[in-house]
Amino acid sequence: MKILEVENLTKYFGGVAALKDVSFDIPQKQICGFIGPNGAGKTTLFSVITGAHRPSAGKVQLHGKDVTGMDAASLVKKGVARTHQVVRPFKAMTVIENVQLAVHYGRRAVTRTSAAREHAMEALKLVSLDHKAPLMASTLSLGEQKRLEVARALATAPELLLLDEICGGLTGAETQAMMELLHRVREGGTTIMYVEHDMKAIMAVCDRITVLNFGQKLAEGKPEDIQNDASVIEAYLGKSDFGGKKRA
Amino acid sequence: MTLPQNLSGWLKLVLPWLLFVALLLLPVTSPSDNVIRLLFLTAVYSTAGLGWNLLGGMAGQVSFGFAVFFGLGSYTTALLMHAGHSPYFGFVGGAAIAMLASFFIGLPTFRLRGPYFVIATIGVTEAVRVIMNNLEITGGASGYRIIEDKPFNPLEHYYTAIVAVALAVLVSAIIANSKFGLALRAIKQDQDAAADLGVNPYTSKLWIHAIAAGLTGIAGGIYARRAGFFYPGDVFAFQTGINILLIPVIGGVGTIWGPVLGGVIFIIVEETISAKYQDFHLLIYGALLMLIVLVEPGGLIKSKRLWAGMGRLLVGLFTGTTWKALFALLQKLLRKLRFLKPQRIEGKT
Repeated sequence: MKILEVENLTKYFGGVAALKDVSFDIPQKQICGFIGPNGAGKTTLFSVITGAHRPSAGKVQLHGKDVTGMDAASLVKKGVARTHQVVRPFKAMTVIENVQLAVHYGRRAVTRTSAAREHAMEALKLVSLDHKAPLMASTLSLGEQKRLEVARALATAPELLLLDEICGGLTGAETQAMMELLHRVREGGTTIMYVEHDMKAIMAVCDRITVLNFGQKLAEGKPEDIQNDASVIEAYLGKSDFGGKKRA
Repeated sequence: MTLPQNLSGWLKLVLPWLLFVALLLLPVTSPSDNVIRLLFLTAVYSTAGLGWNLLGGMAGQVSFGFAVFFGLGSYTTALLMHAGHSPYFGFVGGAAIAMLASFFIGLPTFRLRGPYFVIATIGVTEAVRVIMNNLEITGGASGYRIIEDKPFNPLEHYYTAIVAVALAVLVSAIIANSKFGLALRAIKQDQDAAADLGVNPYTSKLWIHAIAAGLTGIAGGIYARRAGFFYPGDVFAFQTGINILLIPVIGGVGTIWGPVLGGVIFIIVEETISAKYQDFHLLIYGALLMLIVLVEPGGLIKSKRLWAGMGRLLVGLFTGTTWKALFALLQKLLRKLRFLKPQRIEGKT
C-alpha cells in the first residue's frame, strides 16, 4: 500500500530549479530516508509536500487523493506533519503548551484542555522532555528544542511524518534514543520520511533511501545498495580517477 | 474550574468581581455627573481597547483601522434607534454590522503580513471615512443626531458601559484560556510554525478580527447614544483608531486587564492635559507612547516597578517611611538648589 505518490514534482525559485521532475512512492509503515549534498532540494521537497510552498509543476497524492498545493493546516488534519531543520518553537509559551497546541489542532482535534494536556505529556515522554513541561520553551537547549519539535509533530497524530534533520546537535546517546523512537513510531503505524546528514543514523534506521542531487532524483533503493551506488559516491565525493589515467 | 492554590490566585479571582460590584454600587454615593461621565468614557474606551487587544495583542495583528468598527457601531445604533428600535437592539445591530465589515476588511488584508497589513488597515479606515463623509442618508460630513423621547439619564448610560466592559473582559478571559487563545498566541509568534501544527492562521485571524470588531462596535454604539450627536470626522477619524490602539499599548498588550488600566490612564490624560492644550495634545500622546515603549514595553499592568512602588507607597503612608522618603527628597532638592548647606562627606576635605 502506498501512502504518498509524488509525480514529476518541480519547484522553481525565480529561475533556479530547486526540484526538477522528482517522482517516487512512499509505501506505508516504512522509514524512507532522503539524502543528498547541501542544496540538493531535500528541504524544498518537504516544504512542497507539506504545503509550505506551492509546487511549480507536478502532483502529490495522499492515499490516492490529490493534495497538491493544499495548505499546511489542512494537511496536518489529513495526517501529514513535519519538523523543521531550523527549530521553530513558540518561545513565549511553555514546553507543554507548545505540544498541547498540536494535540488541539492536529488530526485528533482534542477539544478538552485536560485531555489535550495528557496527550501532550505522553508525546513529551516519548522524547524524554516531560521533566521540562512547565518551563518556557526559550529555556531549552538546542538539542532539547529539536526534541520538542519532534514531540509537537508526533502530537498531531500523523500518518505520515516528515522529519528534517532531527539529530543535528544531539549527542551520540541521544541520537541512539531518537532512532529507537523512530522504530517505535513506525511500529505504531506511522510512515516516516527522514532527511539527515548523519549517514550512520540514516543507514541504520531506514528501509529505503532516495538520493537527491541538484534537485533531481539520483538513486533509490535499500541502504546497502545506495552505499555502493557509483553515482551516489560521485555526487558526494567527486569522480574517481582510479583506473583512468595514471597520476604524473 | 479548579480553585486557586495561593493568595495571588485568589486575589486574581476575587478582585475583578469586587471592582465590578463597586462600580455598580458607586451611584449610591451620589457622585457628581462629571465622575459618572468620566467613568462612562473610561468603560467605553476600555471596551474598544479590549476588542483591539484580541486581534492586536493576542494574535499580534496590529490594526490602525478600528475606527471603522467604532463608527459603524455608532451609525448602526443611531439608524436602528431612528427606525424605532430599542437602543439595546441597536448595540447588538452595531456589533453585527461591525463583524460583517470585519470580514470584508479581513478577507483581503489578512493575506498580507506585518507592516503591509498595518498599512492596508490605514488605507481602509481612510477610505471608509471619506465614504461616510459623502453618504447622503447619514447626513454626510455634517453628522447624525440621535433623538430619544425620554429624558437624559446618565446612570443608564453608565450602567450600559460598565456591563459592556465587563462583557469585554469576560470574552477576553474566555478566549485567553481556550485552545483558540493558545492558537492565537502561536500565530503571533510564528504563523507558519502554527500552520505546521494544524492551526489555520488565515481563518483564525478572521474570527478574532470579527469578535474584536463586535466589541468595538458595541462601544461605538454606547458612545454615540450618550453623545447624541456625532459625525464621520469624529467616530471614523484616524485619531479614533489610534486612541483605540493606544489604550492596550499603555496598559499592556496581550493582557486581559491591561486595556482596562490603559483606558483609565487614557481618559485621565485626555481630560486633564489634552483638553487644556488642544494644540499639541497629539504631542503628549506621542511622548507618552515613547516613554512606555522605552521604559515598560509590556505595558503598565506588567510594570513591577509601578506596582511595587505603589505598594511601598501605601505601606509607607502607614508606617511613616513615605513621609521620611519625601522629607529626604525635599532635603536633597533644597541642597541642590543651595538653600541648605551641602552635606559633608566623611573622608573628603
